[in-house]
Amino acid sequence: MTEELFSAISNLSKGESLSITDELLQSNMNPVDILSIARDAMQTIGKRFESGEYYLPELMVSGDILSAVADKLKPFLEGEGDTEKIGTIVFGTVAGDIHDIAKDIVVFMLEVNGFEVIDLGVDVPAGKFVEAVQEHQAKIVGLSGFLTLAIKPMRDTIFALKQAGFKDVKVMIGGGPVDDLVCEYTGADAWGPTAMDAISIARGWVGATV
Amino acid sequence: MDKKENAPLAQIELDYQAREKRVWDAIALNTPDRVPLVCQDDYFTLEQAGITAAQAFYEPELAAKVHVEGVSKYNWDRVCLWASFPGRVGDILGMTTIKWAGRDLANHLDYQFVEKEYMLADEYDEFLKDPGDFTMRKLWPRMATELEPFAQFPSLRAMTHSYTPINDLPYMAGKPEVRRMLEKLIEAGQEYNKFEDIRWEATQAFIDRGFPVMNALEAGAHAPFDWICNYFRGMKGTMLDMYYQPDKLKAAIDLVTDPIIENAIQLATELNEKVVGIPLHRGADPFMSNEKFEEFYWPSFKKLLLRLIDAGIIPAPYFSGKFENRLEFFQELPPGKIWGHWDVIDLKKTREMVGEIICFSGNVPGSILISGTVEQTRDYVKLLIDTFGDTGGLMIDGASAIPKESKYENVMAMTETVFDYGVY
Repeated sequence: MTEELFSAISNLSKGESLSITDELLQSNMNPVDILSIARDAMQTIGKRFESGEYYLPELMVSGDILSAVADKLKPFLEGEGDTEKIGTIVFGTVAGDIHDIAKDIVVFMLEVNGFEVIDLGVDVPAGKFVEAVQEHQAKIVGLSGFLTLAIKPMRDTIFALKQAGFKDVKVMIGGGPVDDLVCEYTGADAWGPTAMDAISIARGWVGATV
Repeated sequence: MDKKENAPLAQIELDYQAREKRVWDAIALNTPDRVPLVCQDDYFTLEQAGITAAQAFYEPELAAKVHVEGVSKYNWDRVCLWASFPGRVGDILGMTTIKWAGRDLANHLDYQFVEKEYMLADEYDEFLKDPGDFTMRKLWPRMATELEPFAQFPSLRAMTHSYTPINDLPYMAGKPEVRRMLEKLIEAGQEYNKFEDIRWEATQAFIDRGFPVMNALEAGAHAPFDWICNYFRGMKGTMLDMYYQPDKLKAAIDLVTDPIIENAIQLATELNEKVVGIPLHRGADPFMSNEKFEEFYWPSFKKLLLRLIDAGIIPAPYFSGKFENRLEFFQELPPGKIWGHWDVIDLKKTREMVGEIICFSGNVPGSILISGTVEQTRDYVKLLIDTFGDTGGLMIDGASAIPKESKYENVMAMTETVFDYGVY
């Protein structure tokens, strides 16, 4: 039955995923273990996304299924505590840009891969990033931007982080206009064209091996 | 905006014709005398002159004057009017679907679309059953606060009887909130007319100086999938629909396809415009697999392209993002009929697969124009000419217009390189 749940989620069948979750709950399976199967399935979905088998619709559907399964488990999970996070990342779309789609996908994928993500939303001024890094003691910052107008605010934000003295904080950037030249211009430590790049960059920085 | 002085009229007309011919030749893949420059300047020349995007929205007369003066200096072969719409019209109607400079965004930013589910997942049946009624009573009130009274109207089908003119309509018009809405619409109409007049004057000023103009804002269309995705269901909603209610999504796409095509043809005819711009949003590689593209996106988009071509119009799709996986689909299109504006794409692969089908324009990266050097700009333009020049079907422009943050010297370098290196 646990394998069936794994396969229902990773093959994007929402109805099946929910009915199997119900059956597992009825059979008194520990809800933490059920959630763990769902997370394993999300890892497989992430790999399929990385290999080009899955695209954004599949990620969206898997996210929808995962949250529906999590909603079912929530009443049984009270007090169970969260699983340990492998790192904290402050993330946001930079000042002047209100696009959230790419940011949301990257945030979602980072969370699924074990990171604690502080999502500051869109149109985030540089000062907010500085405050959030301070407050959450984050070592990684992710800056998203869809428009060319995001390039300068990315540079300003990275400058503000340096000014604030966060010497060991790494910054990754991504979004439509970003390339090697923009990475160099903004002073970012790394950039990537896809959500999976964000994960591998962040994993590299926290020294995660898997 | 006086006519350019010291140039005899005949020369201006000759320049105009030469520029037109250069562009039409390139689109038809007939090698012109030189690679055409067809730069879309939304805000760059305004920024250079110290005019903010907010001023472009609220002081269109000033924007028009500065834009025409600024753009004319570059000697581009086809120009595009700046990209603002009338801010006052949006203010009067309380438009909520777009945020723009001077109202919701800082003065230096331009405008950005507010993406959300304007039609909910369970409203497909209602839309498919009576799209006109759904548009009037559900969509319009969701697009602008002052249009909310449309939600109170009886259904369109209920207003089809002979007494409608002395009954339903005056009854509705007599309501204070509907009356206010009608007054707002009249006020918006007056503002809109003023703005249109200014844009037409700017168009004429360019023509008087010998520059053909592309009215991208006026003569445009969308891929039907994007229409539903952008304006009805939002990206997340549409993508869930691809799995949870694919037939309804396809039915909605089918329903809007013919009106999009007919509207584009009608507008182009009224404006005497040969080119129809089609900004593409959700057909790019990361948005879906080729299987899903073939199922949901391509059939109606292809129909749009072919019907425009049949009507004697040149479709000018703007391939926003990366469309590399889709090149195999574009091989089905007729050669020499389409002006393709590319954003980010593998040049060699594009040359091989569609270089002798679709005229290639755009692609000079915003990152180079904004943060690169003159040398890097020159090298990139040369690379484009070296890659596509042999087809004759090449025009030079920024990947996503000319970003307003571009360095002046880089825009000049892009322009001069074409004049130096792009002569056939």
